[in-house]
Amino acid sequence: MTAVMLTVNGRTQTVEVEDRRLLADVLRNDFGCYGVHFGCSHGACGCCTVHYDGVPRLSCLAFAAQCDGATITTIEGIGTDGARHALQQAFIDQHGLQCGFCTPGFIMALLPFVERAKEPTEDQIREAMSGNICRCTGYHGIVDAVRAAIRAHAQNGGAS
Amino acid sequence: MNAVPERPKFLGAAVKRLEDPRYVAGQGRFIEDLAFPHTLYLRFVRSEMAHARINQIDRSVLQETYPDALLFTAEDVGDYGIRATADFPQAQVSVQPLLARGKVRFVGEAIAAVLTEDPYRSEDAAELVFVDYDPLPVLSDPQTALAADAPLMFDNWTRNVFVEQTRTGGDLAKARAEAAHVIRRSFRNQRQAGVPMECRGVIAQLSPAGDYLTVWSSTQMPHLLRTYISEELGWPEHRLRVVAPDVGGGFGVKGHVFAEEVLVARLAILTKRTVKWIEDRREHLLASIHARPHEHTLEAYVSAEGRLLGLKADITVDVGAYSVWPFTAGSDPGMVAKVLPGPYRIEGYEATFRAVATNKCPVGTYRGVGRPGAVFSLEVLMDEIARELSIDPFELRLRNVAREFPYKNVLGFTYDEGSYAQCVEKARELLAADIAESGKLKNGKKTGVGFSLFIEQTAHGTPDFTRRRSPIETGYESVCVEMQPDGRVLIQTGLQSHGQGYETTFAQLAADQLGIGLEDVVVRHGDTLGSPYTVGTWGSRGAVLGGGAVHKASGMIRKKLLAIAAQHLQASPDALELAERTARVIADPGRAIEIGKLARFAYRNVEQLPDGMEPGLMAHGFVDGPPDGSYSNAVHAAVVEIDMKTGEMRLRRFLVVEDCGTVINPMIVDGQVRGGVVQGIGSAICEHFVYSDDGQPLTTNFADYLMPTAPEIPPIEVHHFVTPSPVTPLGMKGLGEGGAIGPAAAVANAVANALGVSVRETPLTKHRIWQLINGVAEQPL
Repeated sequence: MTAVMLTVNGRTQTVEVEDRRLLADVLRNDFGCYGVHFGCSHGACGCCTVHYDGVPRLSCLAFAAQCDGATITTIEGIGTDGARHALQQAFIDQHGLQCGFCTPGFIMALLPFVERAKEPTEDQIREAMSGNICRCTGYHGIVDAVRAAIRAHAQNGGAS
Repeated sequence: MNAVPERPKFLGAAVKRLEDPRYVAGQGRFIEDLAFPHTLYLRFVRSEMAHARINQIDRSVLQETYPDALLFTAEDVGDYGIRATADFPQAQVSVQPLLARGKVRFVGEAIAAVLTEDPYRSEDAAELVFVDYDPLPVLSDPQTALAADAPLMFDNWTRNVFVEQTRTGGDLAKARAEAAHVIRRSFRNQRQAGVPMECRGVIAQLSPAGDYLTVWSSTQMPHLLRTYISEELGWPEHRLRVVAPDVGGGFGVKGHVFAEEVLVARLAILTKRTVKWIEDRREHLLASIHARPHEHTLEAYVSAEGRLLGLKADITVDVGAYSVWPFTAGSDPGMVAKVLPGPYRIEGYEATFRAVATNKCPVGTYRGVGRPGAVFSLEVLMDEIARELSIDPFELRLRNVAREFPYKNVLGFTYDEGSYAQCVEKARELLAADIAESGKLKNGKKTGVGFSLFIEQTAHGTPDFTRRRSPIETGYESVCVEMQPDGRVLIQTGLQSHGQGYETTFAQLAADQLGIGLEDVVVRHGDTLGSPYTVGTWGSRGAVLGGGAVHKASGMIRKKLLAIAAQHLQASPDALELAERTARVIADPGRAIEIGKLARFAYRNVEQLPDGMEPGLMAHGFVDGPPDGSYSNAVHAAVVEIDMKTGEMRLRRFLVVEDCGTVINPMIVDGQVRGGVVQGIGSAICEHFVYSDDGQPLTTNFADYLMPTAPEIPPIEVHHFVTPSPVTPLGMKGLGEGGAIGPAAAVANAVANALGVSVRETPLTKHRIWQLINGVAEQPL
């Protein structure tokens, strides 16, 4: 067992974990972040994407024991009740989801892109989501959602 | 039957989905997210051999290392299994035991179940169960399985075929005699699957007194699962509840009752503990459901003018090791034989189909069920006929499509109303610029345009299922609509919405009938407790029949509300309307009463009700489909660009012209179409379960089983015709599967058009296209 201090969605807590436990598993079962989904558990589908010190990472490819001191944001830490992030709202408005299983991973993977990109091309948007698999939407609505979120983000003067 | 409510506010509106806020916030709750105290976590020991006798299951190391672990084998759980036999005299029976009994028949088949109180420990413990096998010859493909000296898969079988039958219609001899051309081609599609992003999972729990059993499963068909478990385990159905929580995609894969589901229920009874099994991705790819490994030979009898007079077909499907419940091993090949005539006026038809047993994962339903293969073969054949007769491929279709409705096809199926010719003409118009460029070499690249035309039988009713003589038996859908005392509405259904958006579309239909807002309606689905019996979500039927049931049941409540309001407003019910949460006199909208007040009368102040009226505002709606269903139609078209040096293909454009009748929510319709199309593109270009000759699966993770990601996919253009069905509620037709049916044929025809060669096999990987360019492609069968 290893003591690991994690700051998850603003809450700092030290948990005792077996060395082999995956970060995704600890986020789900020790922190209650059930929006972190296991789609493949081998780093190929993107469903478990979280922000690790601000950067999108696959939480199924990290052991929690490696993450001492890390600041983690999961989908539960994005937006608030009644005040969704522009990208979350755009997923709803542009029909960027159907079954909703891959959605948290897509949103976490695309957030930094949406906040940085100015006027990306279609190819650039699709490349930005190339690490995530969606089996329902055919990606069409997700691409539209990214575009809409970038527009909304720009209108807000870059505040998210 | 197709009466549209007056001035519908929500029917046809692209309203945002009511289910979305929880998903974008990570607040969906899927099977793995459900946690219970004192749970035993199940890990399977699965077969490493494709075909073998089990000599021994050695549990000694497990018991030494994990004395607390529980191990169950076939002997421990009893003689239960999946029995899925079509009721035909010549059908051969397979029973898949819950855990392998004596023999294993595919890699991944469950042999033993290991349970501990920690999922990691269960996984480790399962590694310590050693199985001693005695290998048997492997039936790796239909040719091997059908060989005269092939070992038989099951005792008492005469050959390795679950079912073989011939369907005939019209006068094939006459068609052959009148034909100016006989064109014979063979086609092949590869083994693939639906691969939802959420794997399967089951939790079962006995009540403390041991008299109620609850099963949570990531399933598309909760009531059918309840009935199967009840009948197989002898557990009374009224003490059994099945719940499908949020389900992360199904696509037909989760439209089966699995051995794992019955086993987990059985283990909860045996251990008196909560038992939880969450499938991992490798298990899912090895041992859930595969689909679409087809080999077809078609012979077309064509007149000099390009009329397709007759069609003869031979259909073989490599269906794997066991028949699946409730659609059986005959489902995929039988569907091809049934739907091959498609939208064309064929006068003579004969199709022989067979389901061949092999040592591979069982084949079951996947979006389209047999139709993607049927449409691939027929539509590639149509292009080959067009080339051979030097007729424009659009023109060839236009000379052959049914144009007058209702149209009775060569097998006797009645097509309701469609826009087949209009869709072809519209697609040709939209593609004009691409057609002009196709086949020309430019910067080392050639472009090609290809399309497919197809119809899809949807919303089919019980007669269609009884004719199949498979365990599905029936086909109605149902809902319970209940207006609560505060005027708000709860809809409960045994359908399961896993992307289809029923929480929204059903609310739209109810709100229109009842004059209330979408926010006044909640749809709860997937739970057998509180919902009337339903066959579940599959077969492009949920919105038409389940939605139809909402329309019908809400209509009953509407009638009652109007009767109560009529008494209070002293007006005839016919003079009233329900709108803006009130019942009001149409000619004098100031004379109104709130619906919430009427609802309160119905429950709390029943003395306010008209004489003799029963309290309450609850109605059940059961809607069965028309006997032959309602036929949606579409054209799918692909524009491809191929690098002639490397074989690399880029999809430049993909367009759909479709007709699904009356639309409830165009945003959701387009989403369903696009999602299906991209799965179909996956079938066309990359998805492939590969097995070695000794039955070992070689594609057991997402690095090997490739699905489309966003960069490979162009925007999907969707265009609509709306031809309401005369035989369904509101004129709706099903559309959930259609998107996945046409792409393989469209892409293959586009590649053939670009390269000027025949393309009769998928997947069209870069390697295969390079072979086609260089004339070294393996010939199809």
